[in-house]
Amino acid sequence: MFKKILIANRGEIAVRVIKTCRRLGVQTVVVYSDADADSMAVEMADETVYIGASPASESYLVADKIIDAVRQTGAEAIHPGFGFLSENPVFAKRLEEEGIGWIGPNAYAIEAMGDKISSKKLAAEAGVSTVPGHMGLIEDTKEAVKISKEIGYPVMIKASAGGGGKGIRVAANDKEVEEGFPAVKAEAKASFGDDRVFIEKFILEPRHIEIQVLGDKHGNCIYLVERECSIQRRNQKVIEEAPSPLLDPETRKKMGEQAVALAKAVNYDSAGTVEFVASGADKGFYFLEMNTRLQVEHPVTEMITGVDLVEQMLRVAYGETLKLKQSDIKINGWAVESRVYAEDPYRNFLPSIGRLKRFHAPSEGALAGGEVRMDSGVREGDEISMYYDPMIAKLITHGKDRDTALDVHGEALDRFHIEGIQDNMPFIAAVIDEERFRSGNITTAYIKDEFPDGFDGVEPTEAQEIQLICSAAYVHGFFSRRAADTSGRMSPTPDARRDWIVILGDKHHPVTLDLGEDGEAEITINGGKTHTLVTGWYPGQHLVEGLLDGQPFAVKFADRTEGYLFRHRGVALRALVCTPNVADLHARLPEKEKPDTSKLIISPMPGLVVSMDVELGQEVQEGEAVCVVEAMKMQNIIRAEANGTVKAINVAAGDSVAADEIMVEFG
Amino acid sequence: MKDVIEALEAKREEARQGGGAARIERQHAKGKLSARERIEVLLDEGSFEEYDMFVEHQCSDFGMDEQKIPGDGVVTGQGTINGRLVYVFSKDFTVFGGSLSKTHAAKIVKVQKAAVMNGAPVVGIFDAGGARIQEGVDSLAGYADIFMENVLSSGVIPQISVIMGPCAGGDVYSPALTDFIFMVKDTSYMYVTGPDVVKTVTNEEVTHESLGGASVHAAKSGVVDGAFENDIEALVQMRRLIDFLPGSNREDPPVRTVYDSAERVEDSLDTLIPPNPNSPYDMRELIEKVADEGDFFEISPKFGANILCGFGRIEGSTVGFVANQPMTLAGVLDIDASRKASRFVRFCDCFNIPVVTFVDVPGFMPGTKQEYGGLIKHGAKLLFAYAEATVPKVTVITRKAYGGAYDVMSSKHLRGDVNYAWPTAEIAVMGAKGAVEIIFRKDLGDEEKIAAHTKMYEDNFANPYVAARKGYIDDIIMPHSTRRRIAKSLRALANKQLENPWKKHDNIPL
Repeated sequence: MFKKILIANRGEIAVRVIKTCRRLGVQTVVVYSDADADSMAVEMADETVYIGASPASESYLVADKIIDAVRQTGAEAIHPGFGFLSENPVFAKRLEEEGIGWIGPNAYAIEAMGDKISSKKLAAEAGVSTVPGHMGLIEDTKEAVKISKEIGYPVMIKASAGGGGKGIRVAANDKEVEEGFPAVKAEAKASFGDDRVFIEKFILEPRHIEIQVLGDKHGNCIYLVERECSIQRRNQKVIEEAPSPLLDPETRKKMGEQAVALAKAVNYDSAGTVEFVASGADKGFYFLEMNTRLQVEHPVTEMITGVDLVEQMLRVAYGETLKLKQSDIKINGWAVESRVYAEDPYRNFLPSIGRLKRFHAPSEGALAGGEVRMDSGVREGDEISMYYDPMIAKLITHGKDRDTALDVHGEALDRFHIEGIQDNMPFIAAVIDEERFRSGNITTAYIKDEFPDGFDGVEPTEAQEIQLICSAAYVHGFFSRRAADTSGRMSPTPDARRDWIVILGDKHHPVTLDLGEDGEAEITINGGKTHTLVTGWYPGQHLVEGLLDGQPFAVKFADRTEGYLFRHRGVALRALVCTPNVADLHARLPEKEKPDTSKLIISPMPGLVVSMDVELGQEVQEGEAVCVVEAMKMQNIIRAEANGTVKAINVAAGDSVAADEIMVEFG
Repeated sequence: MKDVIEALEAKREEARQGGGAARIERQHAKGKLSARERIEVLLDEGSFEEYDMFVEHQCSDFGMDEQKIPGDGVVTGQGTINGRLVYVFSKDFTVFGGSLSKTHAAKIVKVQKAAVMNGAPVVGIFDAGGARIQEGVDSLAGYADIFMENVLSSGVIPQISVIMGPCAGGDVYSPALTDFIFMVKDTSYMYVTGPDVVKTVTNEEVTHESLGGASVHAAKSGVVDGAFENDIEALVQMRRLIDFLPGSNREDPPVRTVYDSAERVEDSLDTLIPPNPNSPYDMRELIEKVADEGDFFEISPKFGANILCGFGRIEGSTVGFVANQPMTLAGVLDIDASRKASRFVRFCDCFNIPVVTFVDVPGFMPGTKQEYGGLIKHGAKLLFAYAEATVPKVTVITRKAYGGAYDVMSSKHLRGDVNYAWPTAEIAVMGAKGAVEIIFRKDLGDEEKIAAHTKMYEDNFANPYVAARKGYIDDIIMPHSTRRRIAKSLRALANKQLENPWKKHDNIPL
């Protein structure tokens, strides 16, 4: 085994690789940029090498700097993680030439699979199922019908130059092709000035299912079953699981064997992933591409197979023969991973950067009848910078079946507390608990289908409402009891008040609270059932965790000027707890009208103004681009919400803006 | 006997109605509570003891003798907040628009006097139309009586004003003399002269809101110390504020049970200071990680945001936090910040509240705007306030402490009791660049030499060790142990005895 390796990556994956190396007794070298100088990976590594400025193009992507770091430290091989140089065949080839080990597949495999067309060709040759279609020129409608029949209905008629949903038609029979083909052709001509049209199989209910393969340098290759990654938002995976709820053993075997056949065709000698699009309607599956690296979502495979993929990568890279046989690979239970991103789900998932003022991850190990694993590369006090991927951490849970794994996931999310930036956990939790997702009947369009207007939080279920009401009553009772005990009282401390109104959101819930001395309370809501709450919560804690009527629960808590803020799964609600009299007065205050912000252009997130596209006095139409703000490598075009004349411009290109900063005002 | 008792109850009921149900309904429609409802929210339930419920005005001019409403436009009395005594007056907009008559003023003065005598705060709630014109000079006399009591009470008992409706003309000066003023957004405004007069005199057209709304006073003028969304939120927050304050200067601030260990270590503070010395960071995080349970009641969050002021607790006892805020204007001291912080430090000193100061200050704000505005005298207020304060003073320099601003920010030289520095501190007469340009003026233009000098200056002077060697810093501490060290210092200072020389009063540069 290697004595020392260099990790040409950062963040969570660098930490992940170090963990396996430590277990195997392999020394680690981590390279870092300015932004990562104090990172967790740097702290954990045995050696570190500074490689330049924060932008990846000046550090993690500069091959020379990485190779220098190898020379400097005497590392034997490089683990590239994912992203950066991990799928760069030129880099892999150069390492080969310079005699530096590469913990990844050979350069030929990377190159062959790196090109979409050549990889499809290779796949077809290796007997891998590809999307049936006709790429050549189609003369007329008659030929189109003939081709469609050969492919098998339904088919998709698509303009070669198409995009953005234009120039696409689905046809389910000959007649629809006869109508659709000329229509698409005409549309293509009109829209793109190019009337070339092709036809391919239309995949009904498409799902993203991928096979993990593992090969060595001795011609052995196995598959470690599949992962399903259909839950994506704008092509970014959000939730992944293994196995897939769709596959039966037979399909799994077919897919696995085809993936291995493809891997063998390119002498694949590391961990890799063969991606398929599978049809939820008929379980047909078709090759998409092969990723010649470790995947972000590899932990779900590890959780159900018990195989440490990083360890296997190190072993095969060192030249060891794969000890695992295909027959060793069994599916044990179910695993789910979610990617916790620094983004604001309530603001159309805009990136959110800043310092992690609080970062309390759930404990690893047993939870609620399953198991929790946290793959994260940050600690409290770390900065989420604008230079890299906005992923903060991966939460992985395991259970005996899918429902258990998902239940545990929800429980773990409830115990994951982040302050200082916005995170997408409420959204993940909402998906985890959503009925259709639970049923397993998902497609790659799931998020678009179920959250067409974005995410606005979810309404609590009755059980969740009870948890929140009881938590609010408990917390308030605790605060009140303490406040009543402040020094300097004029009158003796009265008995604790029992009757309160919990205003949750805008609903009033009368409660009777009997607060015990040792973290227990009995709470009766609206004269109904009496609930028993047991918790170790005390003031200053961000999590109210304990047992409610014997069942474990956890809700996130913050004490704000405007009231208590409770978050639980996808629910975020304000709770005010007051005496019945005050609650009555509260109900009489009219709801305030929200100020009209349509005449203001407000920065939706902290970032850098890339361009200011309007001038003073300019007439601007609704929907017109006003300026561009960049954050986390994403350029966001900010548009006018209403017609108006530019009255004031408060920022210029090159300025940094804070969230909610007023950038432009209209008259 | 029974009918006598019933008659009293009927009279009380009539008085409680103030200007009547219709007028109360109008208050509600505007998003405001009535005078009595406000008191109900502010005080512990059932604790309010009303005085002078039956007081009526004694004016007979302009037909006023035919209009009498018991209470005369203000509800006064005593009650408790979490069991602790407070005095309260609440202007009743439903009675003569809350306007001030001689008797109305006398009611207020009565509670003011009682508060001083018995050592309890006064909370005044304002929602009124100014002087009662019909009473003429009597009304002016009434105002002055209240002002007089405000002044005599100042520094003896905490005085808090909450503006919950109109507050104009003579009405603004009583709040102005108190310790803290708060407003309710959208439903309150305060100004000396209203939009109509402004229009007549200066031809300037303004709205109530843009002349004296919460958005103006909480952010631009600095007249008020905070703004809240509605009446209930404001009053609940007043309860929270009172919980921090002693009843008078004769007692120590209240103590409550604490669930937060003084030994709590915050490792993340070790990375609070960014690697780049010019990058901002949020000083509020340090306060929240040092204070008990992260509880911080901020004063004037929107005004002079380059300095943070507010109350928190350490080991259950109130402290006043003052901290430069690098997030705004690099934490520089300017007119607004100096005014805001000096007043806060003096309040703490009045009421035996220890002051904890966090320093990251690049200096005083340069420029004509500041100099023309009198930065010299305003900056001197903060210097004066820190220097004269005899309460325990614990200071932590987190990063920059440059020049005169270093002296000002509760330095050892101004009788700072315990002065700590983080290892990231740079205690120096100025930043490296500026210092090098002066000390090595002859080398200006020679970039190489200047760079070398700058490096030398940074290495040798931009650190806490020079000051520590001279004893200007008591110790250099680990950021993660800041809470523990402050708590320990405050324990030692609990019985601090220090007195300034006798004087009639000082002459702070106002």
